Amino acid sequence: MDISYIFVICLMALCSSGSGLSQVEGKQKSGRGRGSMWWGIAKVGEPNNITPIMYMDPAIHSTLRRKQRRLVRDNPGVLGALVKGANLAISECQHQFRNRRWNCSTRNFSRGKNLFGKIVDRGCRETSFIYAITSAAVTHSIARACSEGSIESCTCDYSHQSRSPQANHQAGSVAGVRDWEWGGCSDNIGFGFKFSREFVDTGERGRNLREKMNLHNNEAGRAHVQAEMRQECKCHGMSGSCTVKTCWMRLANFRVVGDNLKARFDGATRVQVTNSLRATNALAGVSPNAAGSSSSSSNGLIIPQSVVYGEEEERMLNDHMPDILLENSHPISKIHHPNMPSPNSLPQAGQRGGRNGRRQGRKHNRYHFQLNPHNPEHKPPGSKDLVYLEPSPSFCEKNLRHGILGTHGRQCNETSLGVDGCGLMCCGRGYRRDEVVVVERCACTFHWCCEVKCKLCRTKKVIYTCL
Amino acid sequence: MSGTILENLSGRKLSILVASLLLCQVLCFLLGGLYAPLPAGHVTVLGSLCREDHARQNDTEFLLYSRGAGACIPVTREEVERDSMKMANELVHVFQMPLPRDLRDLDYSRWQQNLIGVLQVEFGYDSSSELREPPRELQLTIDMRLAYRNKGDPDNGWKLYAHGVEHRYLDCVPTNVGPTETLYSCDMIPLFELGALHHSFYLLNLRFPLDTPRQMNLQFGHMHDLTLTAIHQNGGFTQIWLLLKTVLFPFVVGIMIWFWRRVHLLQRSPALLEYMLIYLGAALTFLNLPLEYLSLAFEMPYMLLLSDIRQGIFYAMLLSFWLVFAGEHMLIQDAPNKSTIRSRYWKHLSAVVVGCISLFVFDICERGVQLRNPFYSIWTTPLGAKVAMTFIVLAGVSAAIYFLFLCYMIWKVFRNIGDKRTSLPSMSQARRLHYEGLIYRFKFLMLATLVCAALTVAGFVMGQMAEGQWDWNDNVEIQLTSAFLTGVYGMWNIYIFALLILYAPSHKQWPTMHHSDETTQSNENIVASAASEEIEFSHLPSDSNPSEISSLTSFTRKVAFD
Repeated sequence: MDISYIFVICLMALCSSGSGLSQVEGKQKSGRGRGSMWWGIAKVGEPNNITPIMYMDPAIHSTLRRKQRRLVRDNPGVLGALVKGANLAISECQHQFRNRRWNCSTRNFSRGKNLFGKIVDRGCRETSFIYAITSAAVTHSIARACSEGSIESCTCDYSHQSRSPQANHQAGSVAGVRDWEWGGCSDNIGFGFKFSREFVDTGERGRNLREKMNLHNNEAGRAHVQAEMRQECKCHGMSGSCTVKTCWMRLANFRVVGDNLKARFDGATRVQVTNSLRATNALAGVSPNAAGSSSSSSNGLIIPQSVVYGEEEERMLNDHMPDILLENSHPISKIHHPNMPSPNSLPQAGQRGGRNGRRQGRKHNRYHFQLNPHNPEHKPPGSKDLVYLEPSPSFCEKNLRHGILGTHGRQCNETSLGVDGCGLMCCGRGYRRDEVVVVERCACTFHWCCEVKCKLCRTKKVIYTCL
Repeated sequence: MSGTILENLSGRKLSILVASLLLCQVLCFLLGGLYAPLPAGHVTVLGSLCREDHARQNDTEFLLYSRGAGACIPVTREEVERDSMKMANELVHVFQMPLPRDLRDLDYSRWQQNLIGVLQVEFGYDSSSELREPPRELQLTIDMRLAYRNKGDPDNGWKLYAHGVEHRYLDCVPTNVGPTETLYSCDMIPLFELGALHHSFYLLNLRFPLDTPRQMNLQFGHMHDLTLTAIHQNGGFTQIWLLLKTVLFPFVVGIMIWFWRRVHLLQRSPALLEYMLIYLGAALTFLNLPLEYLSLAFEMPYMLLLSDIRQGIFYAMLLSFWLVFAGEHMLIQDAPNKSTIRSRYWKHLSAVVVGCISLFVFDICERGVQLRNPFYSIWTTPLGAKVAMTFIVLAGVSAAIYFLFLCYMIWKVFRNIGDKRTSLPSMSQARRLHYEGLIYRFKFLMLATLVCAALTVAGFVMGQMAEGQWDWNDNVEIQLTSAFLTGVYGMWNIYIFALLILYAPSHKQWPTMHHSDETTQSNENIVASAASEEIEFSHLPSDSNPSEISSLTSFTRKVAFD
């Protein structure tokens, strides 16, 4: 315990010695944890009991920022999906880390405190995983809720249809209904990504290294959801031949995303401040553009106007294309195809260039930065890699100041030689052996309709617990 | 002696005609490419889980829905896991189509024509209890209920459309092997096909009955996500398609009437090729007939089958026409009497007939049965899939035989034409003009057909590869799939339109006057070498008036005697 503690103190001292860095640290303190308070909505209630009015609920009110509250208010049904997403992230995180000393435990949530505890104040690997998995879970959960029909403001993918002559002249919902009749409304998984960016990345302006780390990890989480989407096609031409073929994207099970993120966790890159980063920092600091334009486009999520779709989709495309295409060109090119802006959604082609230019600037401010590895011999992190700033503590002993619960009382595996083995898990403190009897239902017989009969089976299990 | 219009048309007129037809072709392509949306759209619906009490399970009028007043409160996966019985035999997967979008409740329009549903299944095994791999062909028993509701009906006003307990075989691969659970993802299974999208909203309730004595659904661990993809034709595409049909229909009918009148003005009875042309025109007219308008008012579930049959008849007719056209130029006359389908071509056409019948039987087995039970699919059972495959392979083999035979016949015609070419200079001027015209006519059709077929194949390949649209520049984009469909449809219309015009009998005389033609003939009679031709013309019953016979037939017979 002492060794690790000393190490951490040394690290702190080392960090504060750099004059440029101390400034960054100071800034970080003021906004510490605020961007991630929304995780608390996981604990506000059962997702199905969430009503659209509940954004007024004080428990929710205190967890969300103003912009997040507005997003929730303007997109009915989204709150339930967010609650589901947060719970999905927690359960997936706990599943992935069930065998490690840090097991993604959540605190009993109380107002003003962070759900995962003080560990997120440190820029370590575990924090990077929390950010990535929550961002991915929100993306996944919103996209799912759209196809469940529980969010009414999900947008259509209008990119594949050409202009319908009548629709352009009419405004509002009439045009939308005509668009649906004319060219259908194919599922737009892009809404999940768009929403996740607006919601999760609120408050992470990328002004200091920690905010850049959070932004990068949030983006990485979304990139993993996107990379795991698969295309499915069905032929339905004459006599079922392939003269007419329809294709759509399918979301992968979130477990697969969790596995991939865990693999990236194991190979995460430690990054550091560089000169070039400071230069962009300064730029971002003086630019008023970032906050202003993001809030204006968040409004766009709910206004059913073709103008706004165009803007949103194009932004989505600009932001995602360059970094993800490099990573894995095959599935991504297909994914991005549906997000192609159509002339339909752009009222005047002339405006295009101007808007593009402005957004280009914003992209540089917020999402387009390159983090440099701590060890210059390592390659710089890619868009799907997780990044962290400081080494993790050992998590062996309880340390409430740093939000570490320790491994006392954790179950371990006697036979394993890995981290879940009792030797490593209990940090050499030894362990206890208990025998328990588990009563389970077994040997069930079913009858349709409507009978289920089961026996009760008792099985003995041996449990090892760290001292 | 007069021939068809093609031979007598001056080069300038012909080029004007061909150019205007090509312009129409480009218009058809652009109509699909610029105005029509993708041919089909889809709605991907994730199933909501509802719990029902046992008392209502056999009541098929009882339907659960996930949106609107009185909707079931969905249960979450965690609630199912917490339940001691895992809610076995109590869960209903509910799919309500279409989904709301942009803060509006969408509804299906009758312009969207048809609805095809496919299901994707994900399930997981407990790794601890069942370590074995699931068998390759898992039989899944599904109790399916499809219901509909119209705009203006109350939210609970669902009416049962179809009910069935069906088996599907799943092909699954493990996607994730975890310590507690192994996840499997399965190939999509066809669920239902509706030939008529007549109502505004559709609802699907799926149950997976577990039954130990009947070994039903016991191999499945627990169901995870069920995703239904409902594919419909896009309304915009239907409108453009119908517009194309409505415009083309009167033109083809008009040109058929003109053609048939021309043929009947002659004093002889129509020749076989003329019959074939009019049949081809009739098949095309049947295909063009915009019957789909009726589906906007009436529920016509047989539209899918009907459109397959209409296309089938047209293709069968087109293939037969090519064969007969080549055969009529075969230059071997074994029977002196007028050729008919029955006397000469039944053997040639048997491949077309076999292929078409096998495809027809397959279609009846698939879409015909779906009229009665929309959940039926011949592909879902291993035996059915084998039977279906047999029919398709049979059709494919017939097509291959047909094309080999057609190529052989065309090769033979070209060889005969080559032979004839060598003797052309020795002929009289009128006769030479005549033959050159005939060869030209045959080659014209060959060229047109080859171009059309090549464009069809190229368009098909392009449509498959490009997948969607193609940006011309920033403002113009071409919807390739739709452009291919309208382009090909327009092309075969224009092709047959051109055939009916160009191969109609001409009123014009040959450049040499009629009487001088006779003098030439009488001159030739003196020449011993031409004696055979005289015999040819005299003993053919239909040649009572040589100036009116289709020069085509006379040519073939002539060559036969040479």
